Order: sequence, then structure tokens, then C-alpha cells
Amino acid sequence: MGLNLRETGSTPKVWHPRTAAEAWAYKRNFGPDGVYVAGGTLLRTQWEAGIVRMPANLIDLSGVGGLSDILIGEDGLLLGSQTTLQACRMHALLQRTFPMATDAVRSIAAPSVRHLATIGGNVASVVGDAVTALLAYDASLIWHTGDGERQEELTDWLLTAFQPGSLNDRLLLSVKLPFPDEQDRADSSAKRVSAYHKVGRREAFTPSLVTAAVHGFLDASGTVESIRLAVGGGQTVPRRLEEAEREMTGQTLDAKLLKHVHARIMELYEPREDVFADSAYRKRTAANVIVAELWRASRTST
Amino acid sequence: MSEGETVKNEYDELRCTINGTDYSIAAPPSERLLMILRDRLGLTGTKRSCDIGRCGACMVLIDGKSVNACLAMAYQCGGKRITTIEGVAAGGIDPIQQAFLEEGGFQCGYCTPGMIVSVAALLGEHPDPTDDEIAEALSGNLCRCTGYGGIWRAVKRAIEARRSAAT
Repeated sequence: MGLNLRETGSTPKVWHPRTAAEAWAYKRNFGPDGVYVAGGTLLRTQWEAGIVRMPANLIDLSGVGGLSDILIGEDGLLLGSQTTLQACRMHALLQRTFPMATDAVRSIAAPSVRHLATIGGNVASVVGDAVTALLAYDASLIWHTGDGERQEELTDWLLTAFQPGSLNDRLLLSVKLPFPDEQDRADSSAKRVSAYHKVGRREAFTPSLVTAAVHGFLDASGTVESIRLAVGGGQTVPRRLEEAEREMTGQTLDAKLLKHVHARIMELYEPREDVFADSAYRKRTAANVIVAELWRASRTST
Repeated sequence: MSEGETVKNEYDELRCTINGTDYSIAAPPSERLLMILRDRLGLTGTKRSCDIGRCGACMVLIDGKSVNACLAMAYQCGGKRITTIEGVAAGGIDPIQQAFLEEGGFQCGYCTPGMIVSVAALLGEHPDPTDDEIAEALSGNLCRCTGYGGIWRAVKRAIEARRSAAT
């Protein structure tokens, strides 16, 4: 047990904004000396491990109005950034409409952590395990930027998320999951392919080595109408495999295509390795779990 | 920026209910609930171990839900109803504790208070849980000496005891 923060005498001030604009103003004023805090569960691990110093000011987001609910929007479900992971896990509509999201959340830590941790915190960490599932649903992020709200595709934000200054002062308000379009819902012959996998070193409460999500539709003949493939895990920034998706679309999901997809995932997925699992293992794992799901779908669609 | 009502200073007043008693505690708002319980209130049944929410030894109930006391900061506990293992046993040995005794659900006992609090949270939400729900509810509690067989049997016995008491 190492030296903890209490023993260092670090006692940051905690600020309690009531609106997104007020929270943004605090962050703007404090700069690097102020940090937004949602559940604080990831921050605590970083503080205790000495990866980052506890800042002089914590900006508590739990009291910011309107960020703790899951709302039905005109064209999508809006997950307030301060919604706890456990609330996401138990939300009936989210579970029914976007089951990969609840599958992913269920695999994060344990209920006791998920009662504090939030979906916004998981996304803001960039490498959160929920992000891979959200990518496969084509999620977008709604930010407060100081002069209003801005919507940004999750996939676009991830391209620059780890670059210095990419977050700036902006505050994540909600995650938007678009409802399936009318064509998807009307075409009853289309078969949905939807699966999320997290592979770690233990069955439960484990950091991920690989996360993978598949979401799409096959027509009655087994042709790929649409498909999204997303991969992440560990410290790898999750991403869509758009080149492979394009190559699959319009093709019959047969053994030849499955073999091609496996090879393309091995090429396109660039995981960060660590002392526990090298890149080759992670590539093969991601390719195997995705192709296994596609193979299962191909068998039941014919 | 409007200071005053929104700022929390170095020492602030934490008002909450712990095991049925109202408390007003002067504490830095970022101080962990674990240290408040153990060092300030002497409630040492809540154990300290990993400090990062991984082992479950410090499990408490906050408004009836399981939370790692090493993760919860004082300001997050304002106005909350907190129950520690001492609160679970306030009326004598709880049926969950009795089940752990009878089924050998402990050895060194260090993880046991956290285990029992997690089971209390589970049974508070799901009086008749499935095996999957039991596994998920205990996924944040590690035991490094008993093995999980006795713990699993204890949970089953606690469920059965509650079921019998209800009929």
C-alpha cells in the first residue's frame, strides 16, 4: 500500500456548478489547475498511482442540471454524460434498442464502481470500453464549447482525442445514439448482426486487452447490406475499420469473404501492446471474435 | 464566476446519515469516505486494501447501493444515507452474516465485511437473484484465501433464509 493522497496533504477545492456554462467558466478560469470530475473513479486510480497529480480544483459535474438522464430525442437516444454506468446498464430502452451498449457497460468494473462512474467519464477517457460499442452504433457527442453546443461524430473526435489540447475546456453534455433508420426497421427480411466482445485476462472486472463490436444487416440471401466494425481495448484508441466495412458491403457473407475480413482486420487493427499481451495476440483475437460473429450470422441467415 | 455558495473550501461540513445516525463532519471535500469512516468515526469494519476500487474490502451502501468507500469522496456523500457493516449488524447478527458463518464463507475474514455488504445490496434489489445476478453483484469483491465456493454457498443460504422468513 503506497503513500496516499491524504498523507501528502493535498486538499483540492471542489466547485459545484449548476449549469454547463458555469462549469465551463470554472474550467476556463482554472486551466490545467482545474479538472472536471464526474464519478471520479478513473481519476482516483490515476491519482493513487501517481500517473497524474490531484489538481488544485475539482469541478464537480454531478449537480449540473439535465446531464443525468437518458432521453428520447427526435432521431436518437441521448445519454446524459453524468448518467452512471449502472443506470445505463439497467435502462430498459437502452438495453432493448442498443444492446451492445449495455453489454459493454456490464463488462466495465463492478456494480459498486458503476454506481459512481459515468458514461461521460468513460468516453472522456478516450479508451473506455464502452467507446467501441458506441462507435459501432455511429454515436456522436454533444459538447458545450462556451459559446453554445456543438455536435461531433465520435469517430472524428477519437482521431484527435489524445492530441494535446484536444479537449480544451469543452464539456461533454451527452452521447447521442441514432435510432436505426426507417429502412432498417421496415425491412423485416433483413437480419441484424450485432455483438460486442471484451477480452481480458479474467472473466470479470478486468481491464480489456481487446474490445470488438459488429453491427449491421444482412439481406435474406446473406448479402451484407450495411456493416460497422469497431475495435479497441487496453490503451488502444478505439476506431472503426471503415476500409473493411466498405469491402464487405454488397458482398455475400461466405467463407471467402470471412477469410478476407479476417486478414483485413489483422492488417488494419493497430493495437497498443504491453507486457501482458503483444500486438499479434490482440490482432488475432479481434479478428477471431469478429469473424466468428459474422460466421454465426451467415449460417443463420440462409 | 460566482464564489460563495458553490465553492467548497479546504475543510467543509459533510452532513449525512451513517448507520441511522445523523452526522455533521468537518472534512476536506475530497477526503475519501473510507478514511472518514475508519479514522474519524472508528468504524473499522470497513476494511482498507487496494485504495482504487478493485477489491471490495471497503464496500458500503450509499442510499442502498453498493459503493467502494475508497472511491467515494466526502462531497459525493452529502445528504446520503450510508450503511457500513456495523449498520448491517446493528440488530444483531444479520442472516447474511449467519449464512457466512454456517457455510464457511470466510477464512482470514478481511474481505468478509465487503462481501456481506455487497450481498446485502444484492438482496435489497433482488430478493431472489439468479446465479448471473449473484456473480455480477460479487464481481467487485475479491477473496484471496477462502476460495469462492463457501461464499457462493453462503449467498445461496442467505437467499433461502430470507425466502423462508418471508413465508
